[in-house]
Amino acid sequence: MTQAQTKTEFVYTTYVTSTPKKVWDAITNPEFTRQYWGKANVSDWKPGSKWSMVSIDGSDVVNITGEVLESRPHSRLVLSWASPENAGNKSEHSRVTFDIEAIGDVVRLNVVHDQLWAGSEMAGGISKGWPLVLSGLKSFLETGKPFDILAVKGPCAAPQAKVA
Amino acid sequence: MTQAQAEFLYTTYIKTTPQRVWDAITNPEFARQYWGHGNISDWRPGSRWDHQKPDGSVLMTGKVLESHPPRRLVLSWVRPDSVADQTEHSRVTFEIDMFEDMVRLNVTHDRLKPGSEMARGISAGWPRVLSSMKTFLETGTPLNTWAGQDRTCDSHATKPDATAA
Repeated sequence: MTQAQTKTEFVYTTYVTSTPKKVWDAITNPEFTRQYWGKANVSDWKPGSKWSMVSIDGSDVVNITGEVLESRPHSRLVLSWASPENAGNKSEHSRVTFDIEAIGDVVRLNVVHDQLWAGSEMAGGISKGWPLVLSGLKSFLETGKPFDILAVKGPCAAPQAKVA
Repeated sequence: MTQAQAEFLYTTYIKTTPQRVWDAITNPEFARQYWGHGNISDWRPGSRWDHQKPDGSVLMTGKVLESHPPRRLVLSWVRPDSVADQTEHSRVTFEIDMFEDMVRLNVTHDRLKPGSEMARGISAGWPRVLSSMKTFLETGTPLNTWAGQDRTCDSHATKPDATAA
């Protein structure tokens, strides 16, 4: 038998000179996500709906998929998160929570990615990926310019960004 | 017996150069603009460093443990009133690397007591400080609420750990 597995989580907070609506749109509008994330996040973002993170290289390959668990526009978004081949295997679903809060002229964006298997490829991938993606989101909102590595060179240039 | 220790890790990617990140940490004129406080030292191994408010009061202090400009800086980190107690000394490591055309800044704050006020303070503080540093280096202005945060810090002057990071 395999040894008992434990769950882990990844937490990342960033502060962005922006508004809660712009941060929400940066996460949920594929026209924005493709610019700084190098992927299109596609859904109607209603609780119970499916969401997918789709490649923008023309292949329309789904990298990550899941369900919208909670959706309070401009404030809180909770998603389940799985690779497409594990979409039917609930034990491989992790969870991502975005909490968006205005503090003066700055937005605090707190991302918690939990229900991850400790030591898994997914846990390793998202731990490298979120700092890069969320650094790109911040630059995109503050300067209007994304990181070249994700937006221009595309997802192949940054394998660790693929999962996050 | 050795005690359990906690650590805090944070990585941010910044469109700038390693030298500018190094200067943002070690040049008090830069640090004051995005951090609200200056870091004062000659940044040589063995030297003292102080995290200093504009009025000259020292919020945090320690020694420079390693210094490889502009790539790696390791500091011990302790409240001035706890310098004599080695168990209160934590450690901060700044690693500055190029990643494609960006700088990847890794900050590791370890040797912390789990659940301590210091561990909580720096866990809340580093994301804010490093977000402001990134904004400062990419746009030339710090986060807009930093002055407000500094006032908050002043009103909690008895909790320097929360103000310093």
